[in-house]
Order: sequence, then structure tokens, then C-alpha cells
Amino acid sequence: MHSELVLQVKSLLWKLAVRLVVLCCALAIAGAQTKPAQSPYIGSTVCYGCHAGLSKQFFKNPHYISIATKKETPENKGCEGCHGPGRAHAESLGKKSLIVAFSELSKKQTLENCLRCHSSNLSKANIERSIHTSSDVVCNDCHSIHKSPEPKFLLAKQQNELCYGCHGSVRAQFSMPFKHRVNEGVMTCSDCHNSHGTFAADWRMGAKPRLVDQRLGNEEPCLRCHTEKRGPFVFEHASIRVEGCESCHSPHGSPNAKLLRRPVVFTMCLECHNGAGTFGRNNNGVPAQSSSHNMLDPRYQKCTTCHVRIHGSNSDPRFLR
Amino acid sequence: MTVRLLIGAFIVLALQAQQPVAPTREAVGAADGDARGLYNVVQSFELGYRFSEIGGNRDEYRSNANYGNGIRLLGSNLIVHSKNGRARYFDELVLTTQGLGNDPYESALLRVRKNRLYEYDMTWRQNAYYNPGLVVANGTHFRDTTYRWQDHDLTLFPTRQYRVLLGYGRNTEAGPGLSSQQLFDGRGGVVPFFTNIKREFNTYRLGGEFEFHKVRLHVMRRWEFFKEDTPYFLNTPTRSDNPLDPTTITLFSKSEPYHGQTPGWLVSLFAERRRFAVNGRFTYAGGERNFILNETALGTDRFGGNQNRQIIVSGTARRPVTTGDASLSLFATAKLTVVNNSSFANTRIDGNNFFQQFDNATQSGSVVNFQFLGIRLFTNSTDARYQFSRRFSAYAGYHYSDRLIRSIEDSAAPPDPLDGVSARQANHLHAGVAGFNWNPWQPLRLHVEAEVGRNDNPFTIVSERNYHAISARAQYRRKNLQVSAQYRQNYNNNSITLSSYSSRARNYTGNISWAARSWLSFDASYARLHLDTLGGIAFFAGAPRPQLVSDRQSLYISNIHSGTLGSRFQLAKKADLFVGYNITRDAGDGRAGATTTGTAVDQLLYSVQTFPLNYQSPLARVSYRYSEKLRFNVGYQYYGYKEDFGLFSINNNYRANTGFVSALWSF
Repeated sequence: MHSELVLQVKSLLWKLAVRLVVLCCALAIAGAQTKPAQSPYIGSTVCYGCHAGLSKQFFKNPHYISIATKKETPENKGCEGCHGPGRAHAESLGKKSLIVAFSELSKKQTLENCLRCHSSNLSKANIERSIHTSSDVVCNDCHSIHKSPEPKFLLAKQQNELCYGCHGSVRAQFSMPFKHRVNEGVMTCSDCHNSHGTFAADWRMGAKPRLVDQRLGNEEPCLRCHTEKRGPFVFEHASIRVEGCESCHSPHGSPNAKLLRRPVVFTMCLECHNGAGTFGRNNNGVPAQSSSHNMLDPRYQKCTTCHVRIHGSNSDPRFLR
Repeated sequence: MTVRLLIGAFIVLALQAQQPVAPTREAVGAADGDARGLYNVVQSFELGYRFSEIGGNRDEYRSNANYGNGIRLLGSNLIVHSKNGRARYFDELVLTTQGLGNDPYESALLRVRKNRLYEYDMTWRQNAYYNPGLVVANGTHFRDTTYRWQDHDLTLFPTRQYRVLLGYGRNTEAGPGLSSQQLFDGRGGVVPFFTNIKREFNTYRLGGEFEFHKVRLHVMRRWEFFKEDTPYFLNTPTRSDNPLDPTTITLFSKSEPYHGQTPGWLVSLFAERRRFAVNGRFTYAGGERNFILNETALGTDRFGGNQNRQIIVSGTARRPVTTGDASLSLFATAKLTVVNNSSFANTRIDGNNFFQQFDNATQSGSVVNFQFLGIRLFTNSTDARYQFSRRFSAYAGYHYSDRLIRSIEDSAAPPDPLDGVSARQANHLHAGVAGFNWNPWQPLRLHVEAEVGRNDNPFTIVSERNYHAISARAQYRRKNLQVSAQYRQNYNNNSITLSSYSSRARNYTGNISWAARSWLSFDASYARLHLDTLGGIAFFAGAPRPQLVSDRQSLYISNIHSGTLGSRFQLAKKADLFVGYNITRDAGDGRAGATTTGTAVDQLLYSVQTFPLNYQSPLARVSYRYSEKLRFNVGYQYYGYKEDFGLFSINNNYRANTGFVSALWSF
């Protein structure tokens, strides 16, 4: 009798204990359901735990400003500003699929990710229609966010080497006897080009010239340094204003003196000045050479010896002074 | 990670094969920098002596390379970062210099930034420009000048919704030169005279950026001032360049103070939403120049008569330029982007001058000139890009341009009225582009692109009319190996009633960079640039009276082979050896000489149809690491320039041995 009572009490206590555990679990679950959801953002400090190599020098990175100023919202701050929320990635102990890894993104996604902050900038206004974007050359093809060896703009390499990587013919042009001093370090590609895309030029036509940056008055970048050729002149050499300096010059480099497209001047001049066309003074076309110029006489073979103001003159319609 | 970084660094170093041998590219000091209170500092300085020895045509060497002798601060860099990004005066300071102390190419870059408060950028550059002008003007257009540029940009509150932009730029060119002039008539001799070139260009910028409701407005006001006060003079009796022409100048002087300004506006708007982005831009620049020219020449003309000629010209030239752009980008789906751009540009150049000539104190002529050149250009383009998958995308576009060029040119002797005839030319360009990008395998990327265009009335004979361009590029990229190859061709045919012009350009390039070991890397590139052009020309030639020659063509053939080789070895972590070689060889069309049989005209044209030459530059540099913070460097670079046959019998060949010794240290 006594043993039966003991068994019943034990059974009752066991049932009570089981019900208590179930109740506690239910409460815990209920409590969890009513508690606010955790933010998917975890903060850069957590990232530093595993990515110590990247974080050690991150204070030198321009993006560090998002952490330093303490004004940014979590989605625009530190590592998660570019790589997205990191909680799930951290809690999974580094599962790659739970973080924005740029190596896994398409070119379009990479571009969109960077443009989230970098789009409202005049120099990048045309990036969507840039030939670089069309050719799938996007931000991280030229910029190295974490390992840039360059002191400015997070470039992946020295600027000219970066451009030569794809533009091999340009490397060859800058190695010619006559060239702008890019390899020598006094000029850079971005002095004349905007790799992020440019507005339509007002010299030449169509989409050309590509990625050539313009000055304020939409002029060719050449005139930034060669200011004396800018004018305005009373007598403009119309082909320069209409078709640009490249009508006669190879701007990167050339085997010919003064970056000319031909080794001697007269062939270049005569290729246009043959009397053809119907434009110009009284619709007479491009002026042909004067009958007083005997091309077999060496002094007439160097046109600019007399036509010294060939880029434009204020005094003489034939550019003689 | 360290190994990867080292390999990456070696690839960067190896790729610099065609660079001048100095400054040294190796680094000293702790790569991560040293802690200095609240800041981290990375710095190094390279001081050395550069030497050169030139044989042959020194003018050509100075025109191509121009390195001389002397002590130089070959390079330096100082990079300071605050460790917490909230330092008191600045959070970042970057200062790099190159070639200071009389190298022909000197530069200094400075950036100072305080987070959220200001950002200041300064660029200073100097280029010693030397050009003997031999082929162009037989040496009479010699120039030995110095270009200097400086740009200062200050941005206040760079990360806020409003920014203030301030800027100043200054370009100058100064130095001696020669110029030339034909005297005293259109058949007279050409006389060289001295110039002392003085040009100055200053620009001031003031603007701001404001953001409201996610629309950013950028406004910039700009004032540009140009002045040239170059005098031209000759005060020793000088004969003309033609030995058969007795023209002699005893005194020549010309001054043309030329001052002008270009005030301008730039206004732009940007807005981006999830499905679209728009931007617009408006610019106006109103250039104006006022000038007066006073030229005096004394001497004897080609008939032996005494001449005392004075020419005075005064006037004004204006060029207002207005442009407008509007772009709409539609992100129709996550994979499709369509961009439409419309641009408008209107350039109006007008100018007048009053030309007076006095011969022997008697007014022999006065002319009033008026010129107008107007260029109105409208361009519209639509480009669509579709990302089919993560590995494949394609794009296509249609570009249309409509251009109208108007001209009025007239001159009259006062008091006759000007009644110039207006000329106009309109042309339209239709062009289509298409291409694709394929990434079939992670390290391999392929890009193919084509463009076809039709221009109904190109402005110049060498302009594009019926043209096409095709390019293809393949790139293989692993961590320690990069291989790429590219082909591009541009063909143009511009045939009109009176003339014809065709050009064909084909470029083949290849590049390989291989970091075989952490202590060994190689780089090589090759490019072949082919160009041939053929154009109808007309000119006068012959004796005793020149006759019109219109049945000849101007042919030009260039076949350039360009190669670079570079290799870097590290020996026992103590010494770095870099050897490189760069060669440019224009093989021309394969001919052995510039002379041929036939008429004098045929011989003249034949002699300038191609210009074969050889330009090479091997180099070697050894950098010895004495301690973590000190390196000793020595380098040698050879420049060799050789023309297969000189144009106009001018031989410009030279050989130059150059080099340097230096110490690179960090303290």
C-alpha cells in the first residue's frame, strides 16, 4: 500500500516535472517570439576578429571615414557598408554565401554596389554609358579597396600601368621617341581621360572621342596645357575646332617630331589642302596650295616655316604671322 | 596572405619595364609604417646623382629623353594617417615628389584631408621642353622652354549634403626659342629670329554642391585669364635661308601682347532612384581676346631694294561656347540597363581686325577683316546593356550626330563695306556599336566589339566617312600570371568627287606578366601597329614655272613593332636586380632607301612615304638593402636612336649612356 502510494506520488511528480519543462520551453519560445528581431548588422569590430590582416591597415583607407565619424547608419558603415550585413556570416563562422563577396558578384552588381555611394559625382555622371562599363570593366578592375599600393584613389597599380594592362597599343605609343611624358611620371592618363565616362565631345562626331575628358568650355584637354593654341582667334584653322587636334597629331606618341601623323609636314597639309569641298571663303572649298609654291624647292616642303601660326592667327588669314 | 601580397608587389614592379631607370621602385622601411603618437607615418627619400653622356645628335636626345647630370632628389613620399580618423588638424597627408633638383620632369603631389571638414589637393609639375624643330622648319622653330603647371583644389565639408569647392590653377611656359617669317613678299626668303616665350594662364574656380530630396546640384563658376607677352626680335644682319635670295634683315621686331579671359558657368544635376537615374549638364564659356600687333622689319628685299616695313594689326576675337547634356538611365530589370543621352553644343567664333601696312613710311595698304565660324552639334545616343548571366553580357548602341558648320569670311579695304558670302555645310553621322563580354572560366575574360559608321559629308578629307572598327581582347589572369592579347582594326574610306582618302590601321598587342617565385618575376609585351593611308593630293611643282600636279597620291606606310621586356630578381633578400629592354622599330614598308628613279616629283613623294627607324633603351638597376631603412642603388640606361634614312638628308641619330647612383632611406 505504502509502496503504491510512493509510486503514485513519484508518477505525479514526474508528470509535473515534465509539464514544467514543457511549460518553460513554451514560455521561452513565446518570450523569444515577442522579443524584437536582432539587427542583421553586427559592426566592423566583429569582422576584425577573423579578417585581422585587412583590418589592421583599414584606418588608412578612405572608407574608414564611415567608422571614424560615427555618423553613418549601420548599412553605410565600415565593412558592412560594402559587404552587406554580417551577422549571419559571422554566426555561420564565415560562410561565404552569407556575405557580399565581390569575387562572386557579376560586373553589374559590383558597379551598382559602389555606385550606391559614388554615383552623385560629376566625374562619374556618365559611368552607365561609359565604354568601360559596356566592356565589363568596373570599379574593382582598376581599384583595389584593401591592397592598393598607390597613395591616392585606391588604384590597384600605378595609373599608367593599370591602363596599359588592357591598352597595349597605348603602351607602345608612349614608348616612342616623341611622346607625352607619361612614363616619365610628369603626366598621367587621367590628365586627358576620364575613365568613368565623359559627356559628349563637341569636336568630331558621334561617340568619339572616347573617354576624352573635356574642359569647362567642352574643349579638348590638349588646350589645358597648350593654352596659346586655345584662342579664340580671328582666323581659326577650322579643322582644329571642328575635328580636333588629332587631325594632325597623334597625342599619345609618334615616331615623328611634334607628334605629327606624318614624318614631314607637306604631305599632311596637302592631304586636306587639295582644293576639294565646297566650304570656306566664298564656298571655294579647302584652299589648295598656291601656284607660287614649287614643291621641288625645299623651302616650300616645310609649310610651317612660313605659316607659323598654323593653329590660328589674329593677323593673317594664311597664318603667316 | 603575405606571399600573395609579395607576388602582387612583384608583378607591379615588373610591369614597369619601359619606365626610366630612376627613381628606384624598391621600398624601404616598415611597409605598414611607424607609429608617431596619434599618427601612422610611412616615408622614404631617394637622393642620388644622375649622369648622362651623349654622342650624335644631342638635340634629338634632348627632344626624346633629356636626362642630364647632377644631384637630384629622385623621389620621395610621405604618407601620414591618423589612427582614429578624428585627429585635430588632419587625418591624412600624402606628399610625393619626383625629380626635384633639375630633372627634366619634376612633380609634387600633396593631399591633406580632415574627415568631414576639408580636403585639399595640390599638383605641381614642371617639364623641360626641348624641340629643335628640325624636320618641321629646318631648325628655325627651336624651343627650349619650361612648362609649369599647378592646381589647387579645396573642398569644404566633403561628405556632407552641401560642399563648397574652391580652386586655382596656373600654367606657364617660358624660355628662349626661334621663330621665322617670310619677308618681304610672298616669294621672299625666310628669316629666323629670336623669341623669349612668356605665356601665362590662370584659372579661378568657385562652386558648390547641394543635395535636396536625393537630387544633387553642382554649380561651378570659373574665370580663366590668358596672357602672352612674347617678344620677337633680330638685331644683327641676317640673310634668308635661300642662298639664291639676297633678302637680308638688319632689324626685326614684333610684339603682340595678347590678353584675354574666359569666364564660364557649369551647372549639373544628378538624381538616382531604384529604376532610373538622370543627369543633366549645362556649360557656358565666353572666350574673348583683345590684341594688337606691331611688327617692324628693316632690310633689303629679294630684288636688292631697301625696305622699311611696319605692320600694325588690332582687333578682338570672341568665342562663346554653350553646351547642354541630358542623360536618362533606365534600370528596366536587374539585368537590363538602357541609357539615352542627348547633347547639344553651339560654338560661335567671330573676330575682326584692322590691318595696316607702311612701306618706307608710306601707307601701302589697310584691310578690315571679318571672320565667323559657327559649329552647331547635336548628338543622340542610345545604348543598351544586358547581363545574361554572371559570366556573359552584351551591349548594343546607336549613335546619331547632326552637325552644321557655318562660315563667313570677308575682307575689304576701307571704306568699302564687308559683304562676305556665307558658307554652310551640314553632315550627319549614323553609327552602331555592339559587343559582348564573356567570362567562360573564372580566370579568362573575352571581349569583342565592333562599330560601323556612315558620315554623309565629313568636314575634312582625312575625317571618318565610311568606317568600321573591330576589336577583340582575351585576358587570362591568375594570381601570379597574367596573359592578354588584343586585336583592333580601324578602317576608313572617305571618297568624294574631287578626292579620295583611305586609312587602314591594325593593332596587335600581347602581354605576359609572370611572378614565377617570390624572388623572380618576368614581364613582356609586344605590339605591332600598322597604318597605311592613301590620299589624293594636288600641288604645284616643276621648273621653270611650277605646274599643277593632280594625278599623284600621298602614300604613308608605318609598321611599328614595339616590345618591352623586364625581369626582377631578388638575391638573398639583400639585393634586387631589375633588367629591362624597350624597343620601338618602325620597319616602314621594307624599302632599303629613300631614293628611286622617275621624275623629280615622284622622287620627292617616294622619299617621304615611310620613315623607318629604331629606338631602343635597355636598362639595368641594382638595389642593395643595407638595412631595413637604407638601400643603395645604381642603375644604367642606354638610349639609341637611329633612322634608316634621314628625311631631307637630316641625320638625327644619337646614342646616350645614362645612369644614376642613389641612397634610398627612411628615417
